[in-house]
Amino acid sequence: MKALFALLLMCISTLSFAVEQAEEIFKQLAPSLYQIRLIDKASGEKSSIGSGFQISSDGLIATNYHVISGYARHPNKYNIEYLDNEGNQAALSLRSVDVINDLAIVQRDVTSEMSFFDIAELAPAKGEELYSLGNPHDLGMIVVPGTYNGLKNESFNDRIHFTGSVNSGMSGGPVVNKNTQVVGINVATSGNQIGFLVPHDKLLALYQAYKVGPPESIEQQMAAQLMRSQDKLITTVLNSNWQLKQLGRGLIPTIDVPFIRCWGESNSDKADAQIMAAVANCDLDENTFISSDFFTGSLEMEYRYMESNKIGSTKFYHIFERQLNQVAPGNKAGKDDVTEYQCHHDIVEPTDSNINNKAVFCTRAYKDFPELFDVMYIGISIDHEQYALLSHFTISGVAQDTSLAFLTKFMESVKWN
Amino acid sequence: MELIIEEITYGHKLLGRHKFSSNNITIGRGYDNDVIISDPHVCADHLQLHFDGEHWFVNDQGSINGSYLEGRKNNIIQHKIQSGDIISIGKSQVRFVFPNHPVVESVTISPFESMINLARHPFVLALSMLLFASIACWIIDLNNAKEVTAFQLLVPTIGLMLGFALWPACVALVSHLTKHDAHFWTQIGISFIFFNLMWLSDIFENIVQFNTSSNFSMIWLITIIPLVLAFGLFWLNCYVGFHMTPRRRNVVSVGLVVLLFGGSFVIQMSKKPDFNPRPQFNTTIMSPSFLFTPSNNVQSFVSDSSALFEQAAKAAEKDKKD
Repeated sequence: MKALFALLLMCISTLSFAVEQAEEIFKQLAPSLYQIRLIDKASGEKSSIGSGFQISSDGLIATNYHVISGYARHPNKYNIEYLDNEGNQAALSLRSVDVINDLAIVQRDVTSEMSFFDIAELAPAKGEELYSLGNPHDLGMIVVPGTYNGLKNESFNDRIHFTGSVNSGMSGGPVVNKNTQVVGINVATSGNQIGFLVPHDKLLALYQAYKVGPPESIEQQMAAQLMRSQDKLITTVLNSNWQLKQLGRGLIPTIDVPFIRCWGESNSDKADAQIMAAVANCDLDENTFISSDFFTGSLEMEYRYMESNKIGSTKFYHIFERQLNQVAPGNKAGKDDVTEYQCHHDIVEPTDSNINNKAVFCTRAYKDFPELFDVMYIGISIDHEQYALLSHFTISGVAQDTSLAFLTKFMESVKWN
Repeated sequence: MELIIEEITYGHKLLGRHKFSSNNITIGRGYDNDVIISDPHVCADHLQLHFDGEHWFVNDQGSINGSYLEGRKNNIIQHKIQSGDIISIGKSQVRFVFPNHPVVESVTISPFESMINLARHPFVLALSMLLFASIACWIIDLNNAKEVTAFQLLVPTIGLMLGFALWPACVALVSHLTKHDAHFWTQIGISFIFFNLMWLSDIFENIVQFNTSSNFSMIWLITIIPLVLAFGLFWLNCYVGFHMTPRRRNVVSVGLVVLLFGGSFVIQMSKKPDFNPRPQFNTTIMSPSFLFTPSNNVQSFVSDSSALFEQAAKAAEKDKKD
């Protein structure tokens, strides 16, 4: 009983210590914290909010790209404003963005040198106590204690796994260590107590690049970042180990990297089904936010094996054909962002292979980012009476040469066992 | 000299024909006339005709609405009749013909006619309807992902047949109402033969679509087949059901084809969204037994695909300028 009491006491004392420390940190940093607002010019009201923090004495403020994405895409529609801890509001101007890591740098006018956040030089240690700051749901600035859990393993672009509540509106707020150095930026949440942060080194890189030379235009900067990122991703994927796995009588490629994960499903429990179907799909666990109705940077592969000895070959393929009408792109994009798809189809049998496919390839171009495309491929085997294999991939935001290299490797990998 | 008087409609359709050998003939609404015309715009004593031993002359009897030679505006007074003259009285017309009036050459019965009659032959009729039913059955079964019994197929098949039989029935009804022979069974026979041809052309189109790549630029030829078949059907419907000049028959058939295909095209276009985020491509896949074309290799598919990027980039540039 005594031991239990001691344990309880210890818990309370550490808890109160943590709260005290959080309060101390908050008091110290509050003047450099901002709420970032996007004001719709036509209505004069705020259309989105987020958090931000000052990173230099001359008024540079870091936030998330997605907080100010409306302005980045439609500068004529919005103004960016800040609200500081004393309730002052003033305009901000957009200086630089990192669309891949969801970061942006905006600037406020300053009259004298101001206090600002230091960006940490080292990554935190696993289990280290961190404090996330921000303005959730427009309720006022708060501080949330949490724990550093290392980098998210399934992520191609580094994200910190933070155990603590990150809520909407806190996006763009800093996450600091005990020494009030910024180690990450709030970016996303995955429900209860699971938050994701952009590591501090991404912000440091963006800040240093800005100091060397500001970008000529935000649109060009974004185009270049998207181009570099897709090249890095597809090159990594092409150079990784493509494992052939069995699906029905087919062999399908899966890519042996942690950031592409596969799932499967079949109807083998339904004995009266006319067609036995098994589906496997693998996709990249992340995508790039450009605006609320335009995402890119996704990669998806899907395989569908169907076999039937209950129905005739003609009916089998007729039913298979109807599934092709459901093909949809892997990413969200609208009329202002992309063209309509252009498609090409043919009967293709890879050399030295044992599969004959009807192959369809479609692409659409990005209107604001030249030489970037969304691509889609579907191959359906048409060489066996009673079974067939569909292989499909879509990639968004890729260049012509990288997507064609992927297409070639993909088409040559799918075969019969 | 004998005179033949024809009562005709404004469309020159014959209503009645009378032959006279007397030298004086009267035309009007009154019952004392030789030719009685029950048109309220015609006077009781309207026209009078007289043979002077050499020529026939016609005179208006001072009617209220007058009598005019077709296409002219002067009231008829002591007009010398030429064979074939048409005179408008009230809202009716009469035509005068002499016995020596030339007639057009006899038309030979073409072998085509006997082919049309063949369509009505009970055996041919049964055969084409049976073929229609079995194709309909097959297609209903194909579109049903679940297992279907013969009874489940029977009802929609019969429904489909009745639905398709509506067209020839309507044509027969219209020709009956316009004082032509209905030719119901001939219309049914012809229509079902063409419906079958349309099913077959559909299957043929699918096979061609399946066997060709998007590099094949003659694919539009395939889409013409249903147009030609529809024209053929409408043309024969007109030929069997109505007396028409060939020119008129062609115009009516082309008009119906335009109405049918143009109409469905317009409906499709009106449903088309301003921007379609889904890829549109030829989805035809069939059993390997319908595949006759050799396969391409990956390299040429990839190089064909690379042309798409230029197209898409051009479209993006064009949209940006707009």
